[in-house]
Amino acid sequence: MNARGLRRYIDDLLDGRRPRPFVADGFEAAQIRTAIELRAARTASDAPNEHFLTDLHRRLTARIPGVHDTPDPLNGPHATRRQVVVAASAAALAGGAGIVAGAATERVTRDGHSHAESPSMQPADGSWQVVAASADVPAGVMYPFDVGSVVGFVRQVNGQPEAISGVCTHQGCRLWFDQPLDQLRCPCHSTSFSPTGQVLSHLLPIAPDPLPRLEVREQDASIQVFVAENPPTEPA
Amino acid sequence: MAQPKPPARTSLRVVSDTESCYPDWETVYADNAIWVYRMIVRRIGNVPDAEDLTADVFLAALRPLRTTATVAQVRGYLRAITRTVLAAHWRQTMGCEITSIDDVPDVPHEAEHAVDSAAQQVHRVLAALPDNYRRILELRFLQGRSIKESASQMGVSVANAKLLQHRALRLAATLCEKDER
Repeated sequence: MNARGLRRYIDDLLDGRRPRPFVADGFEAAQIRTAIELRAARTASDAPNEHFLTDLHRRLTARIPGVHDTPDPLNGPHATRRQVVVAASAAALAGGAGIVAGAATERVTRDGHSHAESPSMQPADGSWQVVAASADVPAGVMYPFDVGSVVGFVRQVNGQPEAISGVCTHQGCRLWFDQPLDQLRCPCHSTSFSPTGQVLSHLLPIAPDPLPRLEVREQDASIQVFVAENPPTEPA
Repeated sequence: MAQPKPPARTSLRVVSDTESCYPDWETVYADNAIWVYRMIVRRIGNVPDAEDLTADVFLAALRPLRTTATVAQVRGYLRAITRTVLAAHWRQTMGCEITSIDDVPDVPHEAEHAVDSAAQQVHRVLAALPDNYRRILELRFLQGRSIKESASQMGVSVANAKLLQHRALRLAATLCEKDER
């Protein structure tokens, strides 16, 4: 029995706050259920906030590849293909550069090379952008960068640059680096990621995807990240 | 450059023929976001969690969604994901499922039916309570009054109003459990 936890839970519910969890026994669970039902019976209490709907729409647009596509005006067989919302890897979802950069990075790693500038490794649409001077990223430093469409962190591992997205794969919140703990942390739902992008801890119902790696190279004493172009918005 | 197509987001059900397909993911969102949110908020009771879980549902659903699926299939799929997300939320936060979504295939009308049956149960339970218990629950839960306002309305002290609310909720929960059996 946890009378204080229940009282606090009900107060949070009535004040419109996110209730703080506690270990409830069977009858306390029944009281929470009744409180939720009573709260839901409030007139017009179940309509979503217009701002929330718009914001979620914007987040989905930003995170699902191909959503900028306009259906082919000829409405031919290609139109069907283009209208399909394709399942995509986590790499394709979280960073602007993810779609191309994630795949390219994988190839580089498998082949054991880091010649991202090699013609065979050059993705079609996008450009290399300087995110830091090499001197700014000594070993052991997690260097944050923001080039508009891509936000991330670069660091040096065994003399080679590595870059990952700095956007949480759950709902797109921007991560910050917790130096003492050596973790990237999400301010929205307390998810934490390792410097390599693996999920270390989360409080979500479903574990979020790891952070996508970004394609990175060092050239002319600068660290550069490959930033993909947005999909075209013109009709085919 | 062509402007991105503005979302059609005004009506609860844009597509009435459940055997047809959605033209794109934006229509899936426009047609289903409101009922998914309502289904969740009625079972969660607070807006911050309801918004997060609705976002979780669409972020999970739209990645693998084929728009060649029929409207009925898409709605069934969204409902199944919503059930899973809600169940996981309760297990994660409270260790048990406080509320759940029934395995009823009648997706398009779920919103309306759920409102009716839940509202009926609430009114049945309230009607069965002693007057002062019913009054405190109406003021606090249905009208959203503060504990001070409620105490003032009822002509009792704040401490007394808190005690009334505590006892009223216990009795209401007992009646709800009996009502569900």
